[in-house]
Amino acid sequence: MSDLKPLKIGLVCPYGWDAPGGVQNHVRDLAEYLIAHGHDVSVLAPAVDESALPSYVVSAGKPIAIPYNGAVARILFGPIVFSRVRQWIAQGDFDLLHLHEPAIPSLSLLACWAAEGPMVGTFHAAAKRQRAIFAIGPILEPVIEKLSVRIAVSEAARLTLTEHLETDAIVIPNGIYAERFRNGSAQPQWSGNTIGFIGRFEEPRKGLSILLEALPIVSRFIPNVRILVAGPGESEETLKVIDPQLRSRISFLGRLSDEEKADFLSSVSLYVAPNTGGESFGIILAEAMASGAPCIASDIPAFASLLGDGQFGSLFASEDPADLAKVMIELLRDDEKRTQLSIAGQEHAKIFNWDTVAEQIFSVYEMAKVGSEKVGLASDNRSWSRLLNREGNGA
Amino acid sequence: MKTGLTFGIVLLAFLWYLSFSATRLDRLHHRVETSWANLDGLLQRRAAVALELAHSTFADPASSLLLTAAAYQARAASIKDRSFAESGLSGALSLLQNELALETNPAEKALLAELAELTAKIRVAIAIHVDAVTSTRSVRAKLIFKFFKLAGTAPLPMTYDFEDDAL
Repeated sequence: MSDLKPLKIGLVCPYGWDAPGGVQNHVRDLAEYLIAHGHDVSVLAPAVDESALPSYVVSAGKPIAIPYNGAVARILFGPIVFSRVRQWIAQGDFDLLHLHEPAIPSLSLLACWAAEGPMVGTFHAAAKRQRAIFAIGPILEPVIEKLSVRIAVSEAARLTLTEHLETDAIVIPNGIYAERFRNGSAQPQWSGNTIGFIGRFEEPRKGLSILLEALPIVSRFIPNVRILVAGPGESEETLKVIDPQLRSRISFLGRLSDEEKADFLSSVSLYVAPNTGGESFGIILAEAMASGAPCIASDIPAFASLLGDGQFGSLFASEDPADLAKVMIELLRDDEKRTQLSIAGQEHAKIFNWDTVAEQIFSVYEMAKVGSEKVGLASDNRSWSRLLNREGNGA
Repeated sequence: MKTGLTFGIVLLAFLWYLSFSATRLDRLHHRVETSWANLDGLLQRRAAVALELAHSTFADPASSLLLTAAAYQARAASIKDRSFAESGLSGALSLLQNELALETNPAEKALLAELAELTAKIRVAIAIHVDAVTSTRSVRAKLIFKFFKLAGTAPLPMTYDFEDDAL
């Protein structure tokens, strides 16, 4: 990648930069990877605290919280924002725009609307058919078709795209810094018969309740089993529903730093992802695999494909605590199987390493910008504008 | 008076829509051209690598002849026969795959690595091109585009049976 000429790349992140989330992490890692390889990168994103932004991020304003896809999405929309997007595009002089999640009403969609030229779109979401947000498909079509290349982060995301917008995409997975996770060191306080869980556990779709429902069954067979929950959220509410006798088996660790996360994943006996849906990739599973944690995940499409249908980690019937308990007990009792899953998972996780993933993304960039024109503001009515002699006027 | 005004506004809105649609289609045609230029470039490079392989030490006279013929055919093919010719080259290259895998000479190894990289890129380029052609054709099939001849004189992008082209 180093032998290529540096590009001026504009990335658009639809969700609030300060809020934790898979898309934000992906955009941040990609931006930093591209900068490290000599490219000039500007990220446009909503942000609450503008003073805390890295130098390569331009704030588009404060995001508003709306419920979307089973979670609260912090996004930004509206005419003032639109003019800011146009300004960013006009001043950026970009060789290429890379828009994330352009199919939801967000900054990325506005950017896609406003711009013309080489554009790449990455679709992260996987949603069931007939979601209200996709009912606007026919309106979106003329906008989305401006993208030179579409990327989907998984087969599930690609399927969502073909179902809702009748357009195909190239599958390129999300990236992780695999070596960071490979080098995690096991910590005694997290070792033993421990089950790890990382995520915003208050969100029902993350499925912590399923794991907690499986605990009574598991603890009957494996008395010293412990569940370690990492991630932001209020633990008291969650603990209320648990049998008091079992409460000591559950620890809440709060949010972990990246280094702590690597150590955590290297320490636990099993990593469990009981998500009930709305996931299109499952970056945390890729990270857990990279650090050598044997994984168990619900059999939702994204996870099943990520774990190679059970080759690189075990699957259980989604939303079925009894089945989860069964799989957990089997694995906790079978050291050999756990070692085997750990090795297979670590090997498989190499394909998610940023070096591999960024190479693929960059090759897509090259294809999108054949013809070497730059990104500019779109005129949706060329002949009309020409007639009125005001082509390419600004906001 | 009122009906005249309403009629005028509707007519204006309709003309605006026509102009918007023409721009949209123009953009799609541009996308097809770009994706084709990209794919064409990659296929040309593959043919060049195939020729180099044919002239390298590894190739016996028969495979050399086969590769050279296939590569020239792919390069010379008209846009209509391109898919067929490229499939021929893919076939010739895949026939030699087994022998190629055993190759140890560093120069040939480098060529093979380049070929593998090109093949991966060609796969992606094919997907991009097919997608561009499909969306352009589906838009052009709409009644309003047909009736007002919004495509102008631009030829209808050809669909290619590219699936088997990549190794």
